[in-house]
Amino acid sequence: MMLLLWLAAIWLAGFGVVRWMFPQPLRWSLHNIFLFSLGIGAGAGIASCLYFLTLVLAGATFSLLPAAGGVALVVALALFLFARKSALLDWAEGPAVPRYLTALFVVAAALGLIMFLGAVAYNPHGEEGAWSIWNMKARFLFRAGAFWRDAFSSDLGFTHPDYPLLLPGLVALCWKLAGQESTNAPVAIAFLFLLGTAGVLVSALGVLRGKTPALLAGTLLLGSASFVALSAALYADVPLSFYILATLALLCLQDRHPEDMRFTALAGLMAGFAAWSRNEGIIFLLAVIVARAIALIRFGERKLLVPQFLRLLLGLAAPLGVVTFFKLRIGGLGDWIAVPASTLLHHLSEPARWIVLLEGLVIILFNFGRFLIPIFLALGLYWYLVRFRTLVGTGMDTRDRAGLATAAIALALTLGVQLVVDVLYLDNLALEIGTSFERIMLQLWPGALLAFFLASAPLQLIAPKLQEKGTKEKRAHKGARRVAETR
Amino acid sequence: MVSSFWFLLDILGTANHSKQTFGVAAFENRFNDFPKTVQPHTVYGYLSDTPANDPSALAEFHLTQYVLAPAIIRPSTRENLVIVNYHSKDLDMKLLATNHLRPFRNIGNGVALCRSDKP
Repeated sequence: MMLLLWLAAIWLAGFGVVRWMFPQPLRWSLHNIFLFSLGIGAGAGIASCLYFLTLVLAGATFSLLPAAGGVALVVALALFLFARKSALLDWAEGPAVPRYLTALFVVAAALGLIMFLGAVAYNPHGEEGAWSIWNMKARFLFRAGAFWRDAFSSDLGFTHPDYPLLLPGLVALCWKLAGQESTNAPVAIAFLFLLGTAGVLVSALGVLRGKTPALLAGTLLLGSASFVALSAALYADVPLSFYILATLALLCLQDRHPEDMRFTALAGLMAGFAAWSRNEGIIFLLAVIVARAIALIRFGERKLLVPQFLRLLLGLAAPLGVVTFFKLRIGGLGDWIAVPASTLLHHLSEPARWIVLLEGLVIILFNFGRFLIPIFLALGLYWYLVRFRTLVGTGMDTRDRAGLATAAIALALTLGVQLVVDVLYLDNLALEIGTSFERIMLQLWPGALLAFFLASAPLQLIAPKLQEKGTKEKRAHKGARRVAETR
Repeated sequence: MVSSFWFLLDILGTANHSKQTFGVAAFENRFNDFPKTVQPHTVYGYLSDTPANDPSALAEFHLTQYVLAPAIIRPSTRENLVIVNYHSKDLDMKLLATNHLRPFRNIGNGVALCRSDKP
C-alpha cells in the first residue's frame, strides 16, 4: 500500500511541475487531463533521475531518501500556488460526436484494462526481457546497497549494462521509499504509463483536432492488443512511446501557441526522458532535433528557430546530462562501439540483409498490432474517405503544418535509423527482426497515431443539422414551386 | 475490439493450460530454501544438467541470477561455491565429478550448493 502511495506521490509531484508551467483552475477539463497525463511521465522521469543522482552522490545507504522524497513532493505541490499566465487547452471545435463512438472508446478502454490485468495477473514479473534486464537492475539497485554498481558488472552482460535507468531506477526508488520489494511497483508503473499514453494522445488530439479524431485515436491505441500486451510485459518500450508522443504533442501545441515557449521547453524535457528510458530514445532525441529544424525552416517561421531551440536545449539539458554521465561513467557505451568497421561495411554491402529487412517490413505491415484486419488497410480506407471530404470543403489547419512535419520526419527518421542500425550491427538479423521489429514499431505507434489524425481533415460522422437544413431547403423549394404552379 | 477479445481469450487459454513449472514464480519457489543471507558482491559458480544447446538452459541461468540478485552468478565451475541446478530425482554425482565438484549442501527442489576442487 505504501508503495502505491509513494508512486501516486511521484505522479502528483509530476503533475505539480507541469501545472506550474501551464496553470489553469483545478477542475475537470481537457487542460487538466492533458497535464495529469503528462504528469505521469514528468514525475517518473524527474524521480528516476534524482534517485540515480542520489545513488551516485550520496550512496545507496542514504537514509534521508524518504525525507528528501517528501520535501520534493511538498515543493512540487507548492508549485500549485504559483499563478502564472498560460494558454487554456480546450476541445477544438468540431462536429458532434456520435454516442456509439464514445461507447466504443469506453469499451476499448475497459477491454484494455481487462487485458492488462489478465496479463499481469498471469505473469506479474513480466516477460523474460523485462525481468532479465529491467527488473534485474532494479533488484540490484535495491538489494545490493553500497555495491549497486554490481548491476553493471561485465558478468551481467546479458542485462545490457548500457541500457538507461529510467525504469529500473523508478522501480528501485518505489521499493526503497516503501521499504519493501514487490511486483506491484513495476506493474503499477507500467499501468500508469499506458494510461498516460492514452491520456496524452486523446487530450492532445482533442485540442488540435476535436473530440471525434481524439476518441478514434484513443480507441485504436487501447484496442491495439500488442500495445497493451507490451505494456503488461513490463518492458521500457511503452514508457519510451509515452515520451515520444509527449514530445511530439507538445511541439504540435507549440505551433498553436507560438508566443508561449514553455511548450518547447517541456517537449525538450520529455525528449530527454525518452533518452533516459531506452537507447532508442537517444535516436529519437537526435531525430526530433533534426526534424524540428527542417519543419521550422520549411513550414514554420524561421525567426522562431533560435528561440525554440534554446528552449528545447534548456528542457533536455538536465536529463541528457544524466544520460551522458551514466553512459560515460557507469553503464558504458554498449557493445556496438567494439564492432570493427570492416564488419559494418560487410553487413552494409550484403544484399541478403536488406532483403531480410524488407521481408520483415512487409510481414509487419500485415501483422502489426495483432489486429484481425491489417491496420494499414483500415487506416488507408479512412484516409481515402477523409481526404475525399477535404476536397469537398474543410482542409488542414495551416498552423499545424510545422508540428505535423516535425512528427512525421522525427518518426520516419527514428524508424529509418533504427533499421539501418539493425542491418549494421545485428548478427542474426532474421531472428531479431522476427522478435523485436514489432516492438520497435509499437514504440512509435502512439506518435504515429497523433500524426495520422493530425494530418486527416476533421471528420463528421453524423450531420443532423445539415440534413435538417437540407430538408428545410427542399421543403421551401417544393413550396415555392407549388406557389409558382398555382400562379 | 475483436482483436482485443481474441487476445484476452489467448491469455485465459494460456493461464488455464500451463502449469507454471517454468518461470520466475516457480524458480523462486525452487530457491526458497537457499540461504537467505545472500550477500551483495558474492560470486557463485553455476552448473546445470540441462544440455547447453537446450533453449531453457540459458533462461534457467538468467532466472537463477534474477532470483539470487544481488549475488553474481558466473556460468563456471571454478568459483569457490557452485550452484548446481538439476532436474533428475537425485544429484548426478558423475556430473559433479566431471566438473571437479563435491556436494556441500543440498538445498532441495533440484538445487544444490557444491564446493569446487579447482577454485
